[in-house]
Amino acid sequence: MSSDVTDPVGPGNGRVVLEARNLVKDFRTNKRAGVFGREYFRAVDDVSLELRAGQVTALVGQSGSGKSTVGRLLAQLVPLTSGEILLNGAPVAATRGRAFIRYTGTVQMTLQDPFASLNPLHRVSYTLGRALRIHGGPMSADDVTERSLALLRKVELGPAELYLHRFPHELSGGERQRISFARALAAEPKVLLADEPVSMLDVTIRKGMLDLLDQLRRTEELAVLYITHDLGSARAYSAETLVMYHGKVVERGPSDQVIHDPAHEYTRRLLAAAPNPRRRLAG
Amino acid sequence: MRLSRFLPTSGKVRAGLIIAVFFVLLAVFGPLLTSYSPQASGTDLLQPPSGTHWLGTTQTGQDVFAQFVYGARISLGVGLVAGILSQIVSVLVGVIGGYFRGLSDDLLYILTAVFLVVPGMPLLIVLTGYLPSRGMVSVAFVIAITSWAGSARVLRAQTMSLRRREFVEAARATGESRTRIVFSEIMPNALPLIASGFLFSVIGAVLAEAGLSFLGLGSLTTTSWGSMLYFAQSAQAFLYGAWWWFVPPGLAIAVLGAGLALINFGIDEYSNPRLRTGRSRARAVRSRGPHAAALSTAGASAAASGAETPGVATILHDDAPDETVGSVPAGAAPAPPQIRELDVPGKPIIEVRHLKVDYPGADQVVHAVDDVSITLHRGELLGLAGESGSGKSTLTNAITRLLRNPAQVTGGSITYHRSARGRPSGPTTGGSEAEVEAIDLLGLSTEELRAYRWDELAIVFQSAMNALNAVTSVGAQFDDVLRVHRPTMPAREREALARTMLEKVGIDPGRVSAYPHELSGGMKQRVAIAIALVLEPDVIVMDEPTTALDLLIQREVLDQVMALRDEYGFAIIFTTHDLSLLLEVSDSIAVMQRGRLVEYGPALEVYAEPRHPYTRALLASLADMGALV
Repeated sequence: MSSDVTDPVGPGNGRVVLEARNLVKDFRTNKRAGVFGREYFRAVDDVSLELRAGQVTALVGQSGSGKSTVGRLLAQLVPLTSGEILLNGAPVAATRGRAFIRYTGTVQMTLQDPFASLNPLHRVSYTLGRALRIHGGPMSADDVTERSLALLRKVELGPAELYLHRFPHELSGGERQRISFARALAAEPKVLLADEPVSMLDVTIRKGMLDLLDQLRRTEELAVLYITHDLGSARAYSAETLVMYHGKVVERGPSDQVIHDPAHEYTRRLLAAAPNPRRRLAG
Repeated sequence: MRLSRFLPTSGKVRAGLIIAVFFVLLAVFGPLLTSYSPQASGTDLLQPPSGTHWLGTTQTGQDVFAQFVYGARISLGVGLVAGILSQIVSVLVGVIGGYFRGLSDDLLYILTAVFLVVPGMPLLIVLTGYLPSRGMVSVAFVIAITSWAGSARVLRAQTMSLRRREFVEAARATGESRTRIVFSEIMPNALPLIASGFLFSVIGAVLAEAGLSFLGLGSLTTTSWGSMLYFAQSAQAFLYGAWWWFVPPGLAIAVLGAGLALINFGIDEYSNPRLRTGRSRARAVRSRGPHAAALSTAGASAAASGAETPGVATILHDDAPDETVGSVPAGAAPAPPQIRELDVPGKPIIEVRHLKVDYPGADQVVHAVDDVSITLHRGELLGLAGESGSGKSTLTNAITRLLRNPAQVTGGSITYHRSARGRPSGPTTGGSEAEVEAIDLLGLSTEELRAYRWDELAIVFQSAMNALNAVTSVGAQFDDVLRVHRPTMPAREREALARTMLEKVGIDPGRVSAYPHELSGGMKQRVAIAIALVLEPDVIVMDEPTTALDLLIQREVLDQVMALRDEYGFAIIFTTHDLSLLLEVSDSIAVMQRGRLVEYGPALEVYAEPRHPYTRALLASLADMGALV
């Protein structure tokens, strides 16, 4: 039952597509400071990372560590407090307007909760059609259907025709998450930020989902940021792993090294706390 | 046949629609039915209903029926125009303010608040007094101005909650523009509120128009239901017993209002695809025959069980209905369950034998628990593993007697072996036959059930945040349990006991006066465990007790539970989807899949040598995903 996965990750020396330099994000809290001021809470503290084409980078942390905020900063869904985001080497600041829409053509994000991230009132065809029209310019209805079907096949939902007219409530959690991936792929992005893509899914479905992510990074040359709380899957599916704790990256390196030879105390504690049946055989 | 899809199923809504349509038809075509003009006076004064004057005449000889149908036009027209205007304003103010926030929201909100506190009717009276003309549209306009605020406030609150929903964030991440997000993502979800706001502003406007006209502030040259009442009143129709003059308009206003209110019941049915497609699907099944039925039930069960067609799930769910329709040959039988002998020292405490629990559905019966037999021994930790839809929660709910309709126990038994009370004190002989009493759990009355729960068997739920009462202190929640089960215990002792229990789960006893929101997630789960332990039950059912917790906290809570088990000796039924966690902590393991027990035996043996293909596949996929198994 040992897990000798033969390097599923690829070379790990792809071209840097998206780079974050010294990201800092402060959130305003409800606590007062002085007469008019508010106290601030530093959710992300000096985080730098690089996402490479065709490579999965894992960002591991427990809830409240700031890992999802890093994802949202990279997606430019929230403005930075300080720091810099570079796309293909050029700094971009595009949290609104046309610049933001252009940015989403290259950088797409999927969210954690498959049950909440699709509008319950829209059929799959609408959800995918909108994404295609935003990024593909004006196209005929037949074109949209054609491309939507291609997207559904890409995320291995078949028969695709059957899914096109479904509402979210008619789909399982795994199927919904695949629709979210399909929507992100509609933009033909270069970067995919996947925020906890499997944490709300059953174990048997998780593997299929992570395999799909792995396949997409290969076939689409995607740079993937895999945000997760699970060190195990980070090792199995990513080339590089960063461990976050209280807004800071406390450890980074090739995934195997981070798991097998953790340098930071926090990573060691996380690894020790992971459920491990082997412990009983030993003890 | 296409039309039938749009007919509401609810009788209330049908009645409401019939009423509304009746009045609309009356307003549109009614004047064609009468040859009289509503204003023209005749020679028949104050006549009761007859063949020539269907609803009689007024004091000046006007035909009441003609007034009634022409008045319907004005009353409905004012209602409709005012309803539309007021709803447009409240949607703009509420949705825009709620979505964009900031200064514009502050200003819009102040405006809304001002209009909310201004008394509507007096303002209406003052405004109408200064109107240059009192035509239908200008009256409707004034009514709209005084009535939009309440609906706007509701819409603002709804929009503020919708904009935080994940699908709005996802639409933003896709690159959707703000206008699109407001009008295509948020507004449709607020549609039930907008529609019911519209219905009620129409009712309100009809009433307001009637009120204004009744006070003589409406247009007295055109006829509306309100002005009919005004003239009836001023001519003292009631004194003369001329009921035909004032009853029709009064009754019409009341019935129309009731009709619109009834339609409101049906709005959800049209706006919620879950309700809508459920109906059309069920109809399609009935009309299109067995093939369609098979397809749609496969879809429904796949959605219900969280199963999935592609990838590894296809192999794992070998007996899934969707696969039997498709790829897998019909002869392929599911692998038989793998049951091993247990070697546990304690005596049996809960025995489940051939339990069956069904959920009757519209098209098929779902066997949520199908012929499951397990035995929990004293002091044993039984791990119950399974994915969503496997039936593990239904099984524990049957044991705790928390099953709700429509779940039905259709077979089998659950026996609880109660030991004599006073267990810890006195020299017992170690559980001789005389001390144990077998209780049929499924046959317990409500009264007996109350004693059984918590005294003998306690429950720890997945999210302590929801299980703990947010508005009372930790100590008060201990009190709730103790007052019911130990009614004679004095308050001082109750508090002392609460403090002791908190200490046992590693929380500072001083926190007994803390409220749940002052505790972290891990502490809340410990408090839930302490409350479960306070009566020293023999069995604790833990339903995903650590799933919502972080890894480090999960480890602490688990260690605490194991230490407490050593101290108190209770048995645990531990449910989780995390198989590697179960393998680490359990004495025995039961793996469930689609309501059936597929593997059951000592945890170490199941771990070392899983026999059922499902267990093997589970462990393999865990290993592939880097779990330590």
